[in-house]
Amino acid sequence: MTQRETLLTETFVTLADTMVSDFDVVEFLSLLSSRCVDLFGAGEAGLMLADASGHMHLAASSSHQMQLLELLEIQHDEGPCPDAYRTGRPVLCDDLRNATERWPTFAPAALTAGFRSAHALPMRLRDDVIGSLNLIRTAPGRLPVDDVAVAQALADVATIGILHHRAAKESELLTEQLQYALTSRVIIEQAKGVVAHQLNLDMDGAFNRLRRYSRDHNQRLVDTAQSVVDRSLYATALKAE
Amino acid sequence: MLISDLESDRRAGRSSGNRLCETCVEVLDVSGAGIMLMTDGEHRGTFGVSNATISVVEELQFTLGEGPCIDAFNTKQPVFEPNLVEPNVNRWPAFSGPAVAAGVGAVFGFPLISATPPLGALDIYLHQPGVLDADQVTDAIALAAVIATSVLALQADALPGMLAPEIDSSLDHRAVVHQASGMVSAQLDIGVGSALARIRAHAYTESRAINDVAREILNRQLLLH
Repeated sequence: MTQRETLLTETFVTLADTMVSDFDVVEFLSLLSSRCVDLFGAGEAGLMLADASGHMHLAASSSHQMQLLELLEIQHDEGPCPDAYRTGRPVLCDDLRNATERWPTFAPAALTAGFRSAHALPMRLRDDVIGSLNLIRTAPGRLPVDDVAVAQALADVATIGILHHRAAKESELLTEQLQYALTSRVIIEQAKGVVAHQLNLDMDGAFNRLRRYSRDHNQRLVDTAQSVVDRSLYATALKAE
Repeated sequence: MLISDLESDRRAGRSSGNRLCETCVEVLDVSGAGIMLMTDGEHRGTFGVSNATISVVEELQFTLGEGPCIDAFNTKQPVFEPNLVEPNVNRWPAFSGPAVAAGVGAVFGFPLISATPPLGALDIYLHQPGVLDADQVTDAIALAAVIATSVLALQADALPGMLAPEIDSSLDHRAVVHQASGMVSAQLDIGVGSALARIRAHAYTESRAINDVAREILNRQLLLH
């Protein structure tokens, strides 16, 4: 294998590893950005993710040089990144000198910073486009077709990693909510039993007392119930409806 | 393929607990399946069953606090008991006898994992002792994941702080037991956990349904000590 092939294989393996264990999105994307620079020659790379309203935000870059960051960040609405995001297709610009009409803010800024070509690959999985991978180079000219394919593959890996991470976060949150709601239900039933004994009521009567108290004291019903169950609140404090 | 049917049911919010269990039985070619929702290692409600025998399996686990689902939940691993009639190790001394009497020859538990902790467990039984082959195990794990996702998808549509209606109604059946736990805890001035243990012990030693015991407690016809 060539040195480049070795680096490429190793990049995919590292990315796969990162996705499995304690996933740190920022670290993952930063790694990806710097590998892009290594793999595709001189230049810089940046990853932009879209927010809910479709505006691009910088997620990671190959260096923290102010100039690069600004160049990526000004692609809020205009530039190769937003174009790749919106169309879901690669955007390949060999010479930014010919792109000043297309990108009136981005192109001049990039040229001033010393960059001559820009490529953006969409980060997509089936119908979901979540952002784009930006490669900017100081030399003019298009990335070779093979390199474009590799860059797209890296963008695809990044997309899967991020979507997987988002789904896992959502599941975690829903699981917590479900657990909380299940436990709350149990506590409220237990509290009804406690109150029923302490005040010699039936379950409906007990429930009304709990509900009245929680409303009067601006508490969640489950919190009132928990106090009753652990006996920090005695049922005689609960007034009738 | 049945799993993709289940997936499209899930996306359309059409899945119901019993239907999920029936699908498990078809896909896995087993005698019965049940879905138990759990928190803190406790059986909170049965979300679905495919037949009466698995209902007994669920009931026993709720009453006794032991069984394949409890172990699967606590270990977060599948649990296999291919011969409940003559097990190598009698890990469920109270559960085994009554389960075998109800028609269970082999029993298995698969945790419902979407995140940590699991949501509960899927229990599966065979009428005769026997093992699950590699394909059945792989499919059962996949089905447990789909069930976990389905339950979460249902919960996603619930009002904040509330249970989704279909999940809430799984808990209705056991509300009396929790109410009775509260009552006993107040009567005896003990914690609700201990109160539940006493109710369970009474149901077990008297060979009575735990819900019946609970109702008698609530009617003041039964006073535990």
